[in-house]
Amino acid sequence: MKEELFVSGRNIPNIDPVLHIWHWQIPLYLFLGGLAAGLIFFATYFFITGKTDKYNVAVKISPIIAPIAIIIGLLALLLDLKHTQFFWQLYTTIRFESPMSWGAWTLGIVTPLSIIWPLLYLDDIIDYFDGKCKIITKFLKWVDKIIIGKCHIIKWIIKIARKYQKIMAWILLLLSIILGVYTGILLSAFNARPLWNTSILGPLFLVSGVSTGVAVIMWMARDHFEKISFSKIDLMLVAIELFFIIHMFMGYLASSEVQQEAAALFLGGEFTAVFWGFFVGIGLVLPALLELMELFGYKIPIAVPAFLILLGGLVFRFIMVEAGQLTRYLY
Amino acid sequence: MKDRSNKYMNPYLAGFIIGLMLIAAYYFSGEGLGGSGAFKKVVVATINGVNHNYALNSAYCSPLVSEGKSPLNSWLIFEIIGVIFGAILSAAYFGRLNFKVGKSPKITNKTRIIAAIIGGILWGIGSQLGRGCTSGLVMSGMAVNALSGYIGLAAVFGGGYAFAYFFRKLWI
Repeated sequence: MKEELFVSGRNIPNIDPVLHIWHWQIPLYLFLGGLAAGLIFFATYFFITGKTDKYNVAVKISPIIAPIAIIIGLLALLLDLKHTQFFWQLYTTIRFESPMSWGAWTLGIVTPLSIIWPLLYLDDIIDYFDGKCKIITKFLKWVDKIIIGKCHIIKWIIKIARKYQKIMAWILLLLSIILGVYTGILLSAFNARPLWNTSILGPLFLVSGVSTGVAVIMWMARDHFEKISFSKIDLMLVAIELFFIIHMFMGYLASSEVQQEAAALFLGGEFTAVFWGFFVGIGLVLPALLELMELFGYKIPIAVPAFLILLGGLVFRFIMVEAGQLTRYLY
Repeated sequence: MKDRSNKYMNPYLAGFIIGLMLIAAYYFSGEGLGGSGAFKKVVVATINGVNHNYALNSAYCSPLVSEGKSPLNSWLIFEIIGVIFGAILSAAYFGRLNFKVGKSPKITNKTRIIAAIIGGILWGIGSQLGRGCTSGLVMSGMAVNALSGYIGLAAVFGGGYAFAYFFRKLWI
């Protein structure tokens, strides 16, 4: 018998001792999914509440970013898959206990609807970009003329969508919340990874995603009222995010040793500087302070806090995916 | 809101405050101030993130890379985060927070950006050869009376005066 052959039964590359499976594609997708969820949420919410004219950019213009974000995110997901050709098998079943199944079906419905929504406001979107960005304007005019103008099926879809826009808005509103929450629940459902296995991750990812959506809207908004309104919404979201983060760490520290070890990665461990400095500091607190200053009458270019929020959201997802893979129950 | 965009601190007072900060940095962290060191750590962390084995075997990266420790978890990174934080808040308070390219009106933004990138690359290489930049080598070095700090000071200002004439059109 060769004893040296079974000195360890844990030769599982890329899984043990630490997970090393998810790379840049996953956090990028989670970020873009959250961003799209935020954009769709506000577009549909203000449409349903009849405030389209008041929040023109949020309802009509910024939703054009949503399908682009979703499609780039889905491409990143495809790149992550080992067996790309089997992705469609997610659509051969519905499993209510699987967040991935929820996500797949949600995206399956949200993606086409998020493409249809901006098509309903294509003229407004062309007006918005006209004179600002030639390439985008040209592309949108091409879409208007060639794809919509000559394709009867798309014309028919737009006609139907216009007729039932309120129903579509309700469906999208609900699905945008599911999309935002699912990006966090996808991680928290991994009960083998102590950092991810917290129920606060779902709401935290939802709020963070909605906050990045708000950042895009206030960056694109031209009307002062709309800018300030979304700045105020963002301040509230940052406060909620900070509340969730504090409670997430309180939960870890009051939990078992593996959770405490997971928290230690951020409290003196290798992710301390990037998490508290780049995400909480520069990605949350600093833009919140700038937004507060703007409310008090200081002249702040809105692009600065908006950019910082987007950067913070992206950094947050990269950290959570990377750090979560390092945490484990095994010794 | 009162226009404060042309109001600046007295440079001698600002220099004195930086000196006090340097003392505080040595007292609290045991290290001086630095700029290029933080960028070096970001570069090493990026290389480490992309290819951990390469970073472990590289003479440049390996001293900063070890299992379970991040090169980013250092005083200089926190200092730079503070610099970004403070600079943006100060610019916002004085109404100078804006996106613009500082340059001579006679050159284009493109020329200025290309020159800045080339200058930045040279600065990066120089600071690594000199084991520090104006903050890490000159200021923090001189604060502890290191000879290299004084030589660095002479070289930085001497080099600056010597080459300023040739590059003046980027600014005036």
